[in-house]
Amino acid sequence: MFDRHQDLKTIRRCKRGEEAAFAEILGRYRGAIYNLCYRMTHNSEDARDLGQEVFIKVFSLLDRFDENYAFSSWLFRIGTNHCIDHLRRNRLRFLSLDGGVGPDGEEYEFQLPDSGPTPDTVLQRKEALERLEEVISELPPHYKAITLLRHDQQLSYEEIAEILQLPLGTVKARIHRARNQIQQMLAARSYDI
Amino acid sequence: MYGKKNKPDLPLDCEEGGRGLQEYLDGTLDKPESLRFFLHLRECTDCQGEHDRLQGLFRMLESLPDHEVPADFDRAVLDSVPYAAYQAMEPLRRDRVPVYLEEAFLPRFVRARLTRLVGFGIAAVAAALALRGDGSALLPVLIVTGLLPEVVVRLQGLGRRALETTRRAES
Repeated sequence: MFDRHQDLKTIRRCKRGEEAAFAEILGRYRGAIYNLCYRMTHNSEDARDLGQEVFIKVFSLLDRFDENYAFSSWLFRIGTNHCIDHLRRNRLRFLSLDGGVGPDGEEYEFQLPDSGPTPDTVLQRKEALERLEEVISELPPHYKAITLLRHDQQLSYEEIAEILQLPLGTVKARIHRARNQIQQMLAARSYDI
Repeated sequence: MYGKKNKPDLPLDCEEGGRGLQEYLDGTLDKPESLRFFLHLRECTDCQGEHDRLQGLFRMLESLPDHEVPADFDRAVLDSVPYAAYQAMEPLRRDRVPVYLEEAFLPRFVRARLTRLVGFGIAAVAAALALRGDGSALLPVLIVTGLLPEVVVRLQGLGRRALETTRRAES
């Protein structure tokens, strides 16, 4: 998906301090990183801040980039970890499928709207995608990251294993569990996509 | 209908089908396994339904809309790049070679001209004796040992030049 050889040439130009080369890398990956951050946080301001921080970090650490690996893997690793750290720092609470315990110790259940189908197919599809984004935003951070790398960035299991520095088997198992959780969350809300 | 190699051994049951459906859709199963799933799905409406639901989810996940990057995104990033530091580091980076190609990697006495000349002399005498038919088993060892300092120093020099040529070509 990303041209490893082209990236390497541009990174070497970056290391020489060529301003245009940094802009090239930014142009190549800006959308992917911003969208990864957006889907991880479900918030455009956080996505902008996190995305910028990822690039600032990467651009200041280019001397540490190991040219034996793909630049895109390194960038996505930093991006994913940065988003996960952000979510953990902010102690976001993730919704369980059935509900939870409120601050007063009383158990509650989610009251979810039951959206019936609309006659307009385009609108239906748009709504379905919004629901799916909503569900993804509520996944635990590591499930969210792995789902986005697999389906949004369309990376292979091997690439994801390299990015997240996890064994291939763990990557497969996590992706399967994440998908199952998405299905369960959609079903729990009667969301039919 | 299918080659002997890909012929499925056993039919698939629904339990197994449910467990491996994601891998089937991911395309990570090997050919015979994939064929077993294909044949089972053709026969089993329950599993076919599950397959269709999961496939729908995959398609939706892959068609999530891209969000537009804010217009001011690049400025803050590009303003923060330490261009001057990279430019200042460039000469140092360019001259850097792997440790084993640096002259200092070899002990001083190996690099010394005298050592190399003496070694070369010993190797030459040993070779001459060997050619005259002296059958001592020590002669090949003397030839190799004598030539070693010269060969190592020359190989290191060649390695450095090859690296410089490659870097010039790449840049």
